[in-house]
Amino acid sequence: MPELALEMTVNGRRVARKAAPWQRLMDFLRDDLHLTGTKEGCGAGECGTCSVFVDGVLVKSCLMPVAKAHGARIETVESLGRTELSLLQKAFHKAGASQCGYCIPGMVMAATAALRANPLAGREEIKERLGGNICRCTGYQKIIDAVEMARDIRSGRLPATALDEVETEDGRFIGANVRRLDAPSKVSGALKYAGDMTMPGMLHVQVLRSPHAHARIVALDTSAAEAMPGVEGVITCADVPGEDGFGVFVNDQPVLARGKVRYVGDAVAAVAAEDHLTAKRALAAIKVTYEPLPAVFDPEEALRPGAPVIHDYAPDNITKHIPIRVGDIAAGFAASDLIVEQTYTTQPIEHAYLEPEAGLAYVDHDGVVTIISPDQNITHHRHMLARILALPINKVRFIMSPVGGGFGGKEDMIYQGMLALLAIKTRRPVRLVFTREESIISTAKRHPSRTSYKMGLTRDGRIQAVELKMICDGGAYGLSTEGVMRKAAILGAGPYNVPNLNMDTYGVYTNNTPSGAFRSFGALQSQFATESHLDICAEKLGLDPFEIRRINAMRDGAMTHTRQKLRSVSLLAALEAAAQASGWQAGAPVSRGATRTDFAEEGVRPPCSLGTRFASPARQSEVA
Amino acid sequence: MLLCDEYLTPASLDEAFAAMAARRGRYRLVAGATDTLPWAREGRAGDVAIPALIDVSRIPELTAREIDERRVRLGAATPMQRFLDDPALARAMPCMPRCAVWFADDQIRAQATIGGNVVNASPAADGTPPLLAHDAEVELAALRDGKVTRRRLRLDQFVIGPNKTALAEDEILVALDCAALPGYGGSFEKVGHRRSLVISLVCLAALVKLDAAGRRFADARLAIAGIGPRPLRLTEVEQFLRGTEVSAARLDAAAAMPVDLVASRTRQAYRRDVVRGFVMRALINAARRAGAPDEALAPELEAAYA
Repeated sequence: MPELALEMTVNGRRVARKAAPWQRLMDFLRDDLHLTGTKEGCGAGECGTCSVFVDGVLVKSCLMPVAKAHGARIETVESLGRTELSLLQKAFHKAGASQCGYCIPGMVMAATAALRANPLAGREEIKERLGGNICRCTGYQKIIDAVEMARDIRSGRLPATALDEVETEDGRFIGANVRRLDAPSKVSGALKYAGDMTMPGMLHVQVLRSPHAHARIVALDTSAAEAMPGVEGVITCADVPGEDGFGVFVNDQPVLARGKVRYVGDAVAAVAAEDHLTAKRALAAIKVTYEPLPAVFDPEEALRPGAPVIHDYAPDNITKHIPIRVGDIAAGFAASDLIVEQTYTTQPIEHAYLEPEAGLAYVDHDGVVTIISPDQNITHHRHMLARILALPINKVRFIMSPVGGGFGGKEDMIYQGMLALLAIKTRRPVRLVFTREESIISTAKRHPSRTSYKMGLTRDGRIQAVELKMICDGGAYGLSTEGVMRKAAILGAGPYNVPNLNMDTYGVYTNNTPSGAFRSFGALQSQFATESHLDICAEKLGLDPFEIRRINAMRDGAMTHTRQKLRSVSLLAALEAAAQASGWQAGAPVSRGATRTDFAEEGVRPPCSLGTRFASPARQSEVA
Repeated sequence: MLLCDEYLTPASLDEAFAAMAARRGRYRLVAGATDTLPWAREGRAGDVAIPALIDVSRIPELTAREIDERRVRLGAATPMQRFLDDPALARAMPCMPRCAVWFADDQIRAQATIGGNVVNASPAADGTPPLLAHDAEVELAALRDGKVTRRRLRLDQFVIGPNKTALAEDEILVALDCAALPGYGGSFEKVGHRRSLVISLVCLAALVKLDAAGRRFADARLAIAGIGPRPLRLTEVEQFLRGTEVSAARLDAAAAMPVDLVASRTRQAYRRDVVRGFVMRALINAARRAGAPDEALAPELEAAYA
């Protein structure tokens, strides 16, 4: 393969190197020049974690073939603040604009570009100019605050002391806006995430995944892949020495598919090779013969007799059923003036943390299998992996690398087992970095749900009885489903006094992508149903939606339906604050859409648009 | 991922043709490469190996631009961001800056080219409606029998269907020749799932020239994408408006006209609503930028659509 001979200036240094013709500028910066402040979040230009300046113009380095950078002047995040943090980096630090930090180098670059283009850009224009960069942690407000702070300090509207750490009274930090200790490493791009780490002799891992939703593996032949030069190891479930199976509540997921695959994306085999391309080519050489099985994609269908069985241990496809019974719902409905029935559904949701899964594993000099990964549950995983590897616990070590966003999505041990097996098999460090697509295909989602709700109320709005049945699609493996069903049942009826209650939450196996932990862990689905249902009941009763909640609100000393006594309940205060903040007009929710008159009032944001820069004074001379 | 054995950056058209001739059937042309790289990923084309990528973005003719009173000649590799950075270009093509600000994001616009957007021939291409409204013609060049031959086609004859153009295998899209329309008011309306980095569900470009009093449409040009297999110029609406007074009733009637053109594969009812609102909003915005006096645009229309 002919190589490109490249010359460019990178962060002020002359670089003359050979590169493969297919390399992207990002690959060249990260892999060849070790400038890992430039991150790969999506590889498709969607997220902005890889933003760099090329001849002074900010571009996404994942979308630029490296040949285009020949002769150019490149500036990466490492070029900013080489001796001390740049003004923008300091402002990001001060404003608390970094959380997981994975988007932050790109964000700092985009902010630098925005203020270079218009040093006086207003808040809306800043948002527009940062539109190509995604953050999943901060909600953007603090990032925009930071850019405004830097702008104002530069223009003299704010003193530079605005960046200083606040003095706290008597060393008390609660309520004080202190700077985060870990922010400098994030705003500078110095922090190494697992995908940024390398070790001498490190191999690159790729995973073969199932194209079928449900299929028996008739034959699995890895011999051609193993024979390829550069391939150092291929593993299948046959390489698991101990008791295979992991999960959060039930160990129903093998490290690699055993006998059958249960969803599109199920891992079947993994390869470690000298380089990424060889590993990819080896995957293509693995021969798998599948016999497709009937599959089921709807949890209610999966519950019917005769439905395809996903796991032999659960012939009814029920991962977990949580029943809760309080009082007598028949009596409660009999005492009701109004009974409202409705069904609510929610969809699967991807966490979309900016850092795709990545991990590095090696066996150390003492034979300790060591896994470095952004793993949200390393202690549990250490115990599971020891059992899977049939090793004593002191021969397994987990090191948690910085988590570039997790939100529950990195609680599952879905790839650490493969890395351990490959490190043991090859006796070399191995690293796997997921692509964004692989992350979306193979990792857990928020449980999609279908909730049937029946509520009985008196004419004056008091809840008499609730019958709630929530069926959740748990997908192909258990993961956190059991806990999610528990929390949905514990919190699902909301902070309201319900004297008579039948609640059933079901987590069900299907051949869909597994569902797992995701912020709020089941409460969102059932509370979406509860709160929507209360709005509908308020409308039917002619009550203000806030009022119906006040009428039924738990107060200090309330007993929940799972018999937890609540010493202090802040619901009434929260309702009051929400009503105040939203400028709520008291009354029944009877006016909608075009008949609403309060949209043009002060404090109501106009619809999203673009083009603030056309009105910006600093640019009027540039564009007609 | 996108693999290639060679990545060539010819410095002239002649070099590009020589590279193409030597690799017939084994190359792909790229300019900004901002769609080619994401195309070669899982969910679209998957892993793709192309023997040679020939990058035309360094050919001087493809990045040049010439503007006179009547025409604008845009090199096909003109980056989208140029429409925001180049005041002369913005003056001659008044809806292009409005289009550009909605196109991907600032960073991708620095690389993505207008010619690449046209050649991709997406049914929802953001760049194509404004070009149609500017009566754009494409200039295509090929090396045949040792000589560079050129031909021109109207843009609506060049983009013939979803991802289909009249480009011959040996041809390069060299330039776009457009009507210069200084003094027109331009607007571009777009809706997608978010503001930046989004494929249009519907996008619409409008150009309006008013009479001296700012009361009548001396000219109106509209083109739309995302509602069918390829972008369309709304000539009937234009004729309906030309010479008429800018009035709420006229705009309202005009906005109803193209609704039945919606022939998308999905969400037709939604798109019909969008089309009606966009024609109205685009005309109001373009008329205002063309200098319509405040009282010419009914305030209730402005509040509802602008």
